[in-house]
Amino acid sequence: MTVATSSRQSILDRIRKATAAGGGTGDDELQRGYIRKGSLNEDERIALMTERLREYDAEVVESGVADLPATIAAELFAGGKKVLAAPQGLPAQWLAQGVNWRIDGNLDYAELDGVEGVVTAASAGIAESGTIVLHHGPQEGRRVLSLLPDWHLCILRASQIVQTLPEYFALYPHPPALATMLSGPSATADIEMTRIKGVHGPRFLHVVIVRDAAQTRTGATSSAGAGQAG
Amino acid sequence: MSHAVLDPRVAPEFPKAALPVLRDTQLRKNVAHATDVIQAKRAKLVAEKKDWQELRTAAAAIRDNVLGNLGDYLEQFEERCTAAGGQVHWASDAAEARRIILDILREEQAREVIKIKTMTSAEIDLNPALKSAGVHAIETDLAELILQLGKEEPSHIVVPALHVNRSQVREIFSKSMHLEGLSDEPQALTAAARSYLRNKFLTIPTAISGANYLVAETGSVVIVESEGNGRMCLTLPRTLITLAGIEKIIPRFEDLEVMLQILARSATGERMNPYNSLWTGVTEGDGPQRFHVVLLDNGRSEILARKTERQTLRCIRCGACQNTCPVYRQTGGHAYGSVYGGPIGAILTPQLMHMEHAQSLPYASSLCGACYEVCPVKINIPEVLIELRAQVVDQDRHKTSRLFDPMYMGMRMANSVFASAGRFRAAQRLGRTALKPFTGKDGWIRSLPGLGAKWTITRDLRGLPEQSFREWWEKQGRKMP
Repeated sequence: MTVATSSRQSILDRIRKATAAGGGTGDDELQRGYIRKGSLNEDERIALMTERLREYDAEVVESGVADLPATIAAELFAGGKKVLAAPQGLPAQWLAQGVNWRIDGNLDYAELDGVEGVVTAASAGIAESGTIVLHHGPQEGRRVLSLLPDWHLCILRASQIVQTLPEYFALYPHPPALATMLSGPSATADIEMTRIKGVHGPRFLHVVIVRDAAQTRTGATSSAGAGQAG
Repeated sequence: MSHAVLDPRVAPEFPKAALPVLRDTQLRKNVAHATDVIQAKRAKLVAEKKDWQELRTAAAAIRDNVLGNLGDYLEQFEERCTAAGGQVHWASDAAEARRIILDILREEQAREVIKIKTMTSAEIDLNPALKSAGVHAIETDLAELILQLGKEEPSHIVVPALHVNRSQVREIFSKSMHLEGLSDEPQALTAAARSYLRNKFLTIPTAISGANYLVAETGSVVIVESEGNGRMCLTLPRTLITLAGIEKIIPRFEDLEVMLQILARSATGERMNPYNSLWTGVTEGDGPQRFHVVLLDNGRSEILARKTERQTLRCIRCGACQNTCPVYRQTGGHAYGSVYGGPIGAILTPQLMHMEHAQSLPYASSLCGACYEVCPVKINIPEVLIELRAQVVDQDRHKTSRLFDPMYMGMRMANSVFASAGRFRAAQRLGRTALKPFTGKDGWIRSLPGLGAKWTITRDLRGLPEQSFREWWEKQGRKMP
């Protein structure tokens, strides 16, 4: 213990001696001349998010709020998913009938490894890079939940989508303790720079973008993939 | 495939180490292909970013701020990480870091560990130490797995196996995973790695990782990756040990808005890595319940003390300088005799070795400046290279062996010749006579004997002219001032 303590002190002493002469800029002097605010309206943001997700080979559909349970059910049945995991906080109406739901309380790894997929909500979306952010709250579940199952259906509300990365950080003056940013399914290019989808993480990412703001204006009807005017 | 020595203390000098690589056409082809692909992707994604230069400026400023106030930020990180249930250790050098990690593993009674790619662990020679302590380390990054199973050394900081092609990977995997009839399609090879590692992820309770960023404000750690092996190691085990250089700090969570934008674009030519993970100490019911961070100095505080060289520590290990370097693109990483190759390795390695080893590396550059141009945190690598070259020269300024070294003898002679007009003119006349037999009709010298051959073996030399400017001037009857 004394050795460890003395290393701590000697490292800090060396650092303090090295930096005593100054030379580091103060935090207030940092130049942040880069683009922080996006310029797209909501439709354009959704369109960009969709385009970027599809570039990553993710499947994207749109939904209104009212028909969201039906959209989720359609996605699950289209994928032939019968045994699915879900976090405890997932809204009950999202849990489609006819599916064997494994609600995560304390599912062990073997059980999670055995399910056909998982459905979670999201904390934010970043359109420019097609990124989905999970803060692992009750609706998103603990980290392992969206990691072991091979198929991930993620529900992202349109109002959660920002255009730029700095806009995401502006939303969280109180940083989350946990965050996972997903930009497409697991991938590698380690062999001859050939991009291969699906190494260890989920190989299939499906995203439902919920038009939660547009819903009141358009009366809750929307169709998959169709961009809505104004 | 070459079996390279990546220990700067015993590796041969760069020009010697580069020779076998330059003759290995397969390796050069593999390196050229990989670096071409990444460079093209990077160029496209940087071009679409209208505020790229502003991002570079901000990133360099964030890193400089960190380095100028490093002590405060490290203490802040330690405090926050500890408050969140993490345990912070400090290691002055590689040996101490290895000892700390081995102590933790002993306490955990670990026989096996899963590892996320970490160049810092290669820097401290962790895997051999684990092996002699009876702990089996399993590399989980696809490239690192290829290297580990093929008993190869890393040759790039982002894509460590870029010198290995698909048929070589097939050979390695089919032999060590006992898979006969494995195809050499990257898809099949990747699937083989997935099933090989799956059960190890699910059952091995101890993991070792590096770190991309340590957030001082929150005590959080950030790792960016592509495959999901990182998320597995960070999430499934009971115990996680993170090894990080002390310079990996960033002040605030918000600073990630800059660092994440520049890192993925520079490293792999992506808008964002498939997976970025951030965690803070220990979270009940989610992920490892025992978490250790080992903060590694290992020469970094010495670099911090030097004015020109401090910028070396801004590095975020994106590898863009390697992909663009005309020297690296010919030799690949192994010739540098260090886990850190390419331009950044040429300045980082000798400094981490306290300038006692790897002195040939600052010369492994044409000083073309391409590395500086692509560096997302604006490290002026050529400037540091020149500074280090000066230090290398200064090191043996007083050595007696210098007295008889032909190069230094020549330099001393030149010094004396250039110091006096008389001696200079005499030398000109002498040189004209002596070089005459070697000078062709067109005034060029193509081949010289002895020491002079060192020059003419690769380039031609202009012969001395019939008369000097001085002689011509005097012939015109004008007076020297």
